[in-house]
Amino acid sequence: MLKITAEELKVIAQYIHDISGIYLDQSKSYLFETRLSSIAEELGCTSYLELYNKAKKDAAKKIERQIIDAISTNETLFFRDNGPFELLRHKILPEIIDLRTPRSPRLKTNVKIWSAASSTGQELYSIAMTIRELIGTQLDNFNFKLLGTDISDSAVKQASYGKYNKFEIERGLPRQTLQKHFTLFGDSWKVKDELRGMVNFRKLNLMLPFAGLGKFDIILCRNVAIYFTLADRKKLFNKIADSLTDDGFLIIGSTESLTGICPRFVPKRHLRSIFYQKKN
Amino acid sequence: MNGLTILVVDDDPVIRRLLEQRLLKENYEVLLAEDGYKGNAILSSNHVDVVLTDLMMPGDIGGIEVLEFAKNLDRNIEVILITAHSSVDTAVEAMKKGASDYLEKPINFTELFLRLEKISTMRGLLRSAEDLRQAMDVTEHTAAETIQNLEIITATLQTRLDNIESILTSETMASEDKVSEALNIILNWE
Repeated sequence: MLKITAEELKVIAQYIHDISGIYLDQSKSYLFETRLSSIAEELGCTSYLELYNKAKKDAAKKIERQIIDAISTNETLFFRDNGPFELLRHKILPEIIDLRTPRSPRLKTNVKIWSAASSTGQELYSIAMTIRELIGTQLDNFNFKLLGTDISDSAVKQASYGKYNKFEIERGLPRQTLQKHFTLFGDSWKVKDELRGMVNFRKLNLMLPFAGLGKFDIILCRNVAIYFTLADRKKLFNKIADSLTDDGFLIIGSTESLTGICPRFVPKRHLRSIFYQKKN
Repeated sequence: MNGLTILVVDDDPVIRRLLEQRLLKENYEVLLAEDGYKGNAILSSNHVDVVLTDLMMPGDIGGIEVLEFAKNLDRNIEVILITAHSSVDTAVEAMKKGASDYLEKPINFTELFLRLEKISTMRGLLRSAEDLRQAMDVTEHTAAETIQNLEIITATLQTRLDNIESILTSETMASEDKVSEALNIILNWE
């Protein structure tokens, strides 16, 4: 494996931060090596500096995308940590549906949900399954817009395709749910059209402005800010507050905290989970 | 011990014997069935890691049916099909149904052992990944409890402090009222 020098560490760490917001600890050189050496070697680079220079010169940004794919962590699973989904099922979804149901029965209930770091899509599909199970046959009365965004092109691609191998699927999905929402495809499983039709995925760098996203009723931003510096986390949650409706709900990772990060949010407890709402 | 239990399903007694001997020699646990019916019965009542089944067998239950039965029972069971050269197309079809591999007759044992070893390594890796994940879940769960408690406590304290601040900076209240009101909030903290 190609070794990284102390000099290169500084340059590459800064570069990765610039393109993705991800802050990598420079004392952990193995992190850089295990994730970037194959890209460097594939491009025939003999040093990480050479890789950096090539990436900077690449107008099509293909190398930059490869580096982001390699650096971003895609550890996720269906219904990862039950808490948020219980919260959605028993508290947040019923409440937001109540708030958004128009007086006229002819009008649909509009609800917008955003999974801000959707990785390979498991979280958003889990939300879609939760919604279908909650409102069953009455889905026609609703207009649910579920958006998933991620910085990694390959993650967005897999999420859009909705196909998961048996290792990805078996973790967290009960058999009954699996058979209801997925079709067997060789040794893999593919999301059924009715579930796929509820969601959209696109690439988004959370460090950049959220242009054209609009406002959401529910935002999930779980386990992504942990890779950012404190200053970047503050900026991120401030932008998230701007993207949330005044009565909307925010869910962050179960070991994350907004104390000292965004005073615009207040934590609220429901059963054994926490969600956030904007201070009025 | 190689750690894997292998079910051999083949109607040819010679092949069954041969596979049994070779696999036992490599320290695998071996179960034998002379047709698909017996194979499925063994699968239902025993823990099996790998099924090694002939594709073509007399009766209604051939290799494909054994594959489907095994996968339906437990998706983690690996199935390797043994085929005659002429039925490679069917074997490829079977791969789409979840077979992990196929071997052409006559069986090349070096090849077979290599594949079994791969399955064994893969299982070991999956197990350690699962162990790590469980360890992570436990850590995450305990950390979450602490952090979420702190989060609520901090927010409650902050609200009280904000309250006190607004009292103390009030322009309409008399000074002594401000102080006594603020003290009142502080003294009544739980």
